[in-house]
Amino acid sequence: MKNKTMLKFEILRRAVAILIALAVALIFIFLCADDPLYALECLLIRPIVSNGAINFKSILTILGRTTPIIFTGLAVCVMFSANQFNLGAEGVILLGAFLGSLVAVYFPMAAGLHSVVCVIIAGIAGGVIMLIPALVKVKLKASEMVISLMLNYVILYVCMHFLNYYFADRSKGSVMTYDFLETARIGTVVEGTELTYGFFIAIIAAIIIAIFMFRTRWGYAIRMIGINESFSKYSGIKVGTIIIVSQIIGGVLSGAGGAIEILGRNTNFRWNALPGYGWTGISVAILAKNNPIAVPLAAIFIAYLNRGCELMSIYAGVPSEMIDVIQAVIFLFFAAEQFLSGYRQKLVVKEAKEEISQKNNAQMKGENA
Amino acid sequence: MPDIEYVVQMKGITKVYPNGVAANQGVDFNVKKGEIHALMGENGAGKSTLMKMLFGLEQPTDGDIIINGEKVNLTSPTVAISKGIGMVHQHFMLVSNLTVAENMVLGMEPKSKGFIDYKEAVRITEEYAEKYNLHVDPNAKVRDIPVGMKQKVEILKALVRGATILILDEPTAVLTTQETTELFRELINLKNQGHTLIFISHKLNEIKEITDRLTIMRGGKSMGVYNTADISKEEISRLMVGRDVILTVEKDKAQPTDTVLKVRDLVYTNEWNKKMLDGISFDVRKGEILGIAGVEGNGQRELVDMLFNLNTPDSGTATVNGQSLIGTSQRKIRDMGVSLIPEDRMTFGIAGAGTIEENLMSDRCFKPRYNNGPLFNLKNMHDDSDQLIKDYAVLCKSRGQQVGMLSGGNIQKVVVAREFSCDPGLIIADQPTRGIDVGATEFIRKKLVELSRAGAAVLLVSADLNEVMELSDSLIVMVNGKIAAYFEDTAVLTDIIMGEYMLGIKQQSEEEVRRVQHEE
Repeated sequence: MKNKTMLKFEILRRAVAILIALAVALIFIFLCADDPLYALECLLIRPIVSNGAINFKSILTILGRTTPIIFTGLAVCVMFSANQFNLGAEGVILLGAFLGSLVAVYFPMAAGLHSVVCVIIAGIAGGVIMLIPALVKVKLKASEMVISLMLNYVILYVCMHFLNYYFADRSKGSVMTYDFLETARIGTVVEGTELTYGFFIAIIAAIIIAIFMFRTRWGYAIRMIGINESFSKYSGIKVGTIIIVSQIIGGVLSGAGGAIEILGRNTNFRWNALPGYGWTGISVAILAKNNPIAVPLAAIFIAYLNRGCELMSIYAGVPSEMIDVIQAVIFLFFAAEQFLSGYRQKLVVKEAKEEISQKNNAQMKGENA
Repeated sequence: MPDIEYVVQMKGITKVYPNGVAANQGVDFNVKKGEIHALMGENGAGKSTLMKMLFGLEQPTDGDIIINGEKVNLTSPTVAISKGIGMVHQHFMLVSNLTVAENMVLGMEPKSKGFIDYKEAVRITEEYAEKYNLHVDPNAKVRDIPVGMKQKVEILKALVRGATILILDEPTAVLTTQETTELFRELINLKNQGHTLIFISHKLNEIKEITDRLTIMRGGKSMGVYNTADISKEEISRLMVGRDVILTVEKDKAQPTDTVLKVRDLVYTNEWNKKMLDGISFDVRKGEILGIAGVEGNGQRELVDMLFNLNTPDSGTATVNGQSLIGTSQRKIRDMGVSLIPEDRMTFGIAGAGTIEENLMSDRCFKPRYNNGPLFNLKNMHDDSDQLIKDYAVLCKSRGQQVGMLSGGNIQKVVVAREFSCDPGLIIADQPTRGIDVGATEFIRKKLVELSRAGAAVLLVSADLNEVMELSDSLIVMVNGKIAAYFEDTAVLTDIIMGEYMLGIKQQSEEEVRRVQHEE
């Protein structure tokens, strides 16, 4: 099938998936909202339009909120491309945020340099910690999925231990670190919104990862291993090394993303549970079909939906858990390869028939001539 | 029931796959009751697709299937089986850990008091084996029985399920000459008992020998139906490929020089504790093609795996120009100038979801020619890919097309293009032309001869007797993980002699076999 038809079909398929998901969401909204139409308005329109005018601040906030999930989305993209079902982005982003915070609180440095050092240390720590599932997978053939999943909780509780006993600011009412030094903060682009410069770093990261995946030998190796590991090994690709590299990259992205998130939208570290960005990152990667360039778009889509649900729960009394329902339905249709495959088959048949008749015509002309 | 001439009628069958390939375009296919009907055609001609539709594995996009005069809608193999259609696949669909009898009744197990009645299963097996004169050992585990018997089990499986129309997909591809003769006797016996057989094959001799009528397919269309007796081999070949194919490869006499590959005393025991390699020793010299003949499953696959470090032997050595292959990474093995055409091309030969270009570049993408610093040099990649596609006549829309969507022959051409273009000093070709069309086969064989005459050492492993005898300069026969015979000159060999060695009826003395070790 021609690529253009294919693309048209994919866009149509995704649009229909979203429409069906929203229709299902609508049922729930009608069930639990006092004013369903207003709830729907909150979900779909109010994230960008309020009081009849486009609300730029709200749009910028949505963009700002995509920062951490772009990073985890990219991390998952790289690891899933190598067929490594590493779910550690969730814990590693917390580790990155925590270590970045400590550097931001305790090591005074020049402005500019400080935040860079925080992010780099967080990234390195993320890469190093991902060595655990990666090495265990390559050396002992243990499932990276199980190890990384468990690792999330180990990271959480180790960080919480150190936060509680060594780094907590006792003058505050709840458990949190001292405030970051101003030199370490990543600035906001527009005052009063949540859009920090971190967003632009995330976009640059997406471009770099896309180039890495499609224009370098390592990215190529990662993709080939993902398609067919036996083939890669036979071709002389160092499969073990590349599997480890893919997970280190995932760790670096998650760790750095954690630091960028915490230094941008917070004044101190006060997470006391897993932030959920890693899980959302998996959704982002699935929506983006492991294509790094599509990751920011997928992240914006999810952030938009999140914002809509937030507004819906504030103003229309719909539980914010609704978003999980809507997301679940969307993924169901996105991930289902066979969804609308009947229609796709018709398109394919039509095109093939045209091609055949063209060929036959050309042949007939040739014979007549 | 009215007397119906045709038991199978397929009318105007069109099949378009989801990837846009129109595998069948308005094909008519009719089979008379009680005949052996050959379905012939190159790979990608649409034979398999047509048969998959008859067996309910695929559904036609357009057209009707009429079985015994009744129009049917074959939505699944279960439906097809209930209409009396059975299929013997080229790659056996048997559970190797179960016994023959257990395989026989799989999915229709006789039960007593809620448990499987194994004795009854054995009885059913024996009853059918007796009735159709297809002798099998009901209590043997399938993994322990020879290929020929596995095939009998497959045929019996279909018969037990009530098949009267049997589709045989290249049944002789894995058999020795003797086993083939036996199979043909059994098939004629089945025919005499009123069964209808559809026989898919590439081998002209067999078609002439056993079939009554034949249908030839080309490019997804039927090229006509013929009485086998009325059509010559040359004409069949011409109809299949649309040109006269030279089925023999011309080659000069080999002038072997230095030893390249040196294998000594390789021993390997597999996970079932069976000795697959039992002290294999041989040399392959520069400029010669050494063939390895033998019935499949006599250690050839294991041997190739050892030479490419896809498996580790218990003991023994294998060196290329003095450097060991055992335990060496594939990257280093390739750097030593060794290339491999793998037997299982879908698993090892290609990354199906990758593009043709990505598949051509897999062994060389790290080389300076294809990199500018950290980034790929896309221009060189595109240029070289296009050149390879042209040189190896890969039929495709562009280098960006998915390899998995090509036909078997074209996929193999992609593999061969990669493996032959890396300036190899040693080529290991494992079943290089299995299941691919005549045109591609001829092309690959010519290339192999060409490369060997240009100075490469070639180790050719093939179950196709014609191929090893035709291409090899000298030849060894493997039986039970040992070398049973070495023939310095293949010109004097006949398939009768080969068959005797392959089946272990004859065996050369140790001194005779040792002649293949040219270097001490």
